[in-house]
Amino acid sequence: MGRYDCMPVRPLNVGVIVKLEPDFSEGNVSYNPDGTLNRAETKNILGPHSAAATLAAFYCKVKYGAKVAIGTMGPPIANQALRQAQLISNADELYLYSDRIFAGADTLATAEVLRLGVSRMNNGLGADIVISGHRASDGETGQTGPQTAWKLGYPFIGNVIDFHIDQEGKSIYAKRFISLYGFYDVIEEIQAPLPVFISADPSYKPSFNTISERLSLARNLNEARNKADNFEKYLQVFNSEGLGADPRYVGLPGSPTIVYKVEKIPKAKAKRRVEFVDGNDTVKLDMVAKKLIQLMTEAPIK
Amino acid sequence: MERYDVAIVGGGTSGLTALRQLANLGKQAVLLEAGNTPGTKNISGGILYSKKPKNGRVYNIEDVFGREFIDDAPYERPITQYILHATSKNKLYSIDLTPVHEYQINYAYSVLLSKLIPWLAKEASDMSEKMGGGIISGVHLGSVRWEQGNSDIVIDTDELEPFRVKAVIAADGVNSELAEVTKARNKFSSEQLYQGVKVVIKLPETILEERFKVTSEEGAAHLFAGDVTMNHIGGGFLYTNRDTISLGAVYHMDSLMDNPIEPSRLIDTLIRNKLVAEFVKDRVPAKKSSQALISKDEEIRQHFMAVKLLKNWNNLRSEYYSRDGIKRLIESGKYGTKDEIESRIAFLENELVEKYNYEFGDNYVELEYSTKLIPDGKRCRMKAPYYKNILFVGDAAGRGVFVGPRIEGLNVGIDDAVRAANAVARSLDRNNFDEHYLGNFYTKSVEESPYTRDMKEIDKDYLKIFLDCSKNIPKDIVGSRYGMIFKLMSSGTLRGIAVGFANMLGFDRLLPLVESVDTYVNVPVELADRLGKTIDSNYVPTTPSLQERIAKLDYNDDSISHIQVTEPRSEFMVKMASLCPTRCYSYENGNVILQHEGCIECGTCAYETLWRHPRGTKGVSYKYG
Amino acid sequence: MSGVTQNSEPSTGDLARIESYQHLYVVIEHEEGIPVPVSLEMLGEARRLMDNFNVKYSSNEKVVAVVLGDNVRHLCQELIRFGADVVVYADNHSLKHYTNLLYTKIICQIAEDKNVASSISPNRSENYKKPRYMFFSADNTGRHLSSTVLAQLESGLASDINKLVISDLEIRHEHKTKGQTVKFEKTLEMYRPDFSGFLWTTILCLDNRNPVTAREYHPQSCSIIPGVFEPITKEDQRTGTIIDFEPQISDEDLRIKVLSRNIIKSTIDFESCKIIVSYGRGIRDSPEDNFKLIEQFARALNAEIGISLPISKRPYQTKDQHLLSYMIPERVVGTSGRKVSPVVYIAIGISGAVQHLAGMKESGFVVVINPDSDAAFRDECDIFIKGRLEEVLPTLTEHIKKHMLMIEKRA
Repeated sequence: MGRYDCMPVRPLNVGVIVKLEPDFSEGNVSYNPDGTLNRAETKNILGPHSAAATLAAFYCKVKYGAKVAIGTMGPPIANQALRQAQLISNADELYLYSDRIFAGADTLATAEVLRLGVSRMNNGLGADIVISGHRASDGETGQTGPQTAWKLGYPFIGNVIDFHIDQEGKSIYAKRFISLYGFYDVIEEIQAPLPVFISADPSYKPSFNTISERLSLARNLNEARNKADNFEKYLQVFNSEGLGADPRYVGLPGSPTIVYKVEKIPKAKAKRRVEFVDGNDTVKLDMVAKKLIQLMTEAPIK
Repeated sequence: MERYDVAIVGGGTSGLTALRQLANLGKQAVLLEAGNTPGTKNISGGILYSKKPKNGRVYNIEDVFGREFIDDAPYERPITQYILHATSKNKLYSIDLTPVHEYQINYAYSVLLSKLIPWLAKEASDMSEKMGGGIISGVHLGSVRWEQGNSDIVIDTDELEPFRVKAVIAADGVNSELAEVTKARNKFSSEQLYQGVKVVIKLPETILEERFKVTSEEGAAHLFAGDVTMNHIGGGFLYTNRDTISLGAVYHMDSLMDNPIEPSRLIDTLIRNKLVAEFVKDRVPAKKSSQALISKDEEIRQHFMAVKLLKNWNNLRSEYYSRDGIKRLIESGKYGTKDEIESRIAFLENELVEKYNYEFGDNYVELEYSTKLIPDGKRCRMKAPYYKNILFVGDAAGRGVFVGPRIEGLNVGIDDAVRAANAVARSLDRNNFDEHYLGNFYTKSVEESPYTRDMKEIDKDYLKIFLDCSKNIPKDIVGSRYGMIFKLMSSGTLRGIAVGFANMLGFDRLLPLVESVDTYVNVPVELADRLGKTIDSNYVPTTPSLQERIAKLDYNDDSISHIQVTEPRSEFMVKMASLCPTRCYSYENGNVILQHEGCIECGTCAYETLWRHPRGTKGVSYKYG
Repeated sequence: MSGVTQNSEPSTGDLARIESYQHLYVVIEHEEGIPVPVSLEMLGEARRLMDNFNVKYSSNEKVVAVVLGDNVRHLCQELIRFGADVVVYADNHSLKHYTNLLYTKIICQIAEDKNVASSISPNRSENYKKPRYMFFSADNTGRHLSSTVLAQLESGLASDINKLVISDLEIRHEHKTKGQTVKFEKTLEMYRPDFSGFLWTTILCLDNRNPVTAREYHPQSCSIIPGVFEPITKEDQRTGTIIDFEPQISDEDLRIKVLSRNIIKSTIDFESCKIIVSYGRGIRDSPEDNFKLIEQFARALNAEIGISLPISKRPYQTKDQHLLSYMIPERVVGTSGRKVSPVVYIAIGISGAVQHLAGMKESGFVVVINPDSDAAFRDECDIFIKGRLEEVLPTLTEHIKKHMLMIEKRA
């Protein structure tokens, strides 16, 4: 009933890197009196960009019958991210890379763990395509994906909005969306050989265009729901030793960068308190004009 | 091109029933739904009936989905009380119509479609997938065509590659696109339609049960006629759900065209009726305007803290006032006794009042605003509800049943859907989709349905029960117009003859008499004035602005407008500036301009525009229905 | 985190280390040979930082612009005029369009090339290993490119930076300094706004001075937010060195191909605007005249013009083509159009529908001009000027022009 574009020699192996993040929606997020995030009181969810990456993997599963593995580096509760990702993608394997010595890692040290982790996926076969989200909602550096790609030796393609795989020719055709500040927007089409590492643009949405693909989609989602009740069955946990990590290159020791200090930004985003001005009051209007110019010429900190 | 056996367009109760029935018969079918998931674009008053007519049979939902429907489906409450109120200012005269409600029914459940339909969808798709079919969401019909040489229908959608099927069941509602693209029937005119505007209101479970004097296995329906209608033909309804209330007003479109008033205002009038206000009242927090001078940082921090406290208060209170909620809370270990929970609720309230400038008082909590058109089967049902090998069911075929104060739509669509599915299955077996074999067969089946009879004739037994319930109404109020009819109808023997005669004359001759401002406004007002009880209410509900109502709805805007104005200066379109429930039309410099982004896709303006549903996943999504 | 104490003497070991890492390399982005604005902004900030650096440390380190492309040599001189001391230029047909793998490889080749270093500083390059600092743009290209370059150079990267300071810091860190207080000279403090928008986080890229895991981490690198820094005023007389670099490209690298590039119809650029002036149905009494006033006002403020959703439906009959050209969907601010967050947002004749507010509520400072003091916007602005635009705008425009003139005279 389902049909794929062409039967592969062996199924595609797809790996996804995800992250468990604080839920920033109002009503769920909690802030400390000093304005910092109260992580203890804030729920954690699969990050929205990680979810987009997971959808891209799901696309491969529905369209190409790919095997999907999801991996994350984090403390034990990070397995919740894996569970949620499985619900979206009907993933076959879940991997948690967890060890106390991984703590304090910046992106380079995290990338080191992830590249070891990806190599463990699919019984050590690794992945033909690795997918990550554009960035995390906390942290927000967007660096971990490309750095993991570099360490794996896979070419990196970012901001992917659409793609398809030529399984015989073993290559990917990807469409990227590039915003050029001060210029225009560009959509670029790239071809690269597999294996490859892509990051899904935040706007990525998979599209399935035939009835048979849509029916396959529905079946997969059903299977996914059934799996999620029992997700531990699909989960493997690796610590530092299990990954064969060198302690000098992971965690705090492996991090070139540190957070030095955190301080309040002088101009906080706030609920506004309005000042009323009578439109006939030329003196007041003059003050408004002065204020506008002052704001215009100050260093624009966004 | 991919080929499947049957396509069903529209994932409402009718479409899903057809899908499941076809699967029951071992047939493959694919259902196309434009919303993101089934249930996001469906509105019902709503009560779902299961009927047992004295003559003939109808197919009820449990006939298709099995006993599981009654045992497991997430309907809201069995409706066991049915009361009609005549209103005039703060006076009401109430008539218990429960016997009328119970006439020929197995049961009547209040429903919220956003909850019910996903359940039906799962039951239908699980079965259908075994037959190689299923449900495909986020897909909007573009057009259909027949190619030379065979009877297959090629379906073009906005989202998918074209595919072909042997037969189609059109379950796409009152604004059916299949009807539109095939021109199988004309668009419904204002004479043939009712516009229903509805709000869903929150009311904690045990508070609701105490207020309406029902147990957990019971529910109440209250209807309103009189001054609440603002001089329109039709009435208001209030149905109890599990822990919400469906409140709405349904008016004949012609009377709205004669006297256009914004739907938002019409529902506000109903909400402010004293009895309704008392029915929907709850304890509601409101933020007082702040006088204190605090830094902006502090303001943000307070905002987040208050939002969290409100969320906790709401959750705890909802749980406390839900059946077994107290038990659950104690079992969770968080609270030892009922008193502890009450103290905690009081503590949260106190925090909000003392630290965050809130106050608690009487008001009501509105969750969702919606509007739907209902076709009056008497006036617009398709006599031959098919076009080639496309069969039309439910609202798409114009088959709403209006019997006195009762409106039946869901159950009619379900009955139609089963008949259509059976007809299609029969054609699949013989591979014959000819008009004579399929279309005609289905038409005959639908004609035999007791629902069709309800659209053609008066049922004298129903009439008797109605009259019995209203026997306390003084004859002189009913006035000279009805005097003769009442005399005839009250006598048993004469009634039979009178009804027979009336049915011969035809429903449409009688309609102007019955469906009039007299019936729905003047008589009830006089009744209430003279005989009504006074209802006291110590608060006036704060109704949200239309902007606030729209802000609560979930939209996925499409850059392309799904509606095109073709008559920017016509009388009809000018009235749309008032009758569009979300003010999508504005009247500037003699022209009517459309802003499609707030559209809730009711179709009020469909008659004189190029009207389509939005593309797949686009447009509004309802959370309650 | 770490603590800071008073200055102490630099250790002699530092002197030797310093020589290995020199100069600030700025990776330039260009589109068809024209530098994107952030490239010039980065050069401006680089110039200011290194001028101060050279004075403070009595040194002569350079701002080195790195350019990859196909036949865009003319760009190099322009970069010098905008503050670069040196431009290293790799010219190759395969470099016409950015692809991550190839650009990363070549930039790293350049960064670690001793010959290039000795062309930059002939007498101080025997120990040269890598740049001291590196800048990238924080846009689609730069953020990914910086990540892979720093993965290859095995050093630290902070992204989305909007403030930079070079200083000597006394740091005590449980791991970096094994709890001891150590002086780190010439450290680049990189400030980035965090996810909540309330806080500034300062990131440092520091060597591991912990004997157990001793390691050097250079270049200290960051990607810079567009629109934050100012380019220097172009100096036509400025001179510098242009170095042609021969990139090493393998066949394997060429298997990644850009097949096509489609420019999406040019959008109104709200992003690089500091001020946006929007108008709505308030112009209805006299659309053409009122729009003229709005345009003059916007011009005085160097602002881009936005509209409310109803205006895009062209509700007013007019033959004024200019006005019509401004009533287009691309200019709509709101959930059906664009989400903007300029420094200043001015709403004229707009009531403040929820969908419009959602599109601009992140703006820094909001001014509303509306004769109706009950308009919904009153709760969502910083200044509410109650008045008709026909009366308020001419006055405001005049005051603004007057003040701008005074400022220019002073400068």
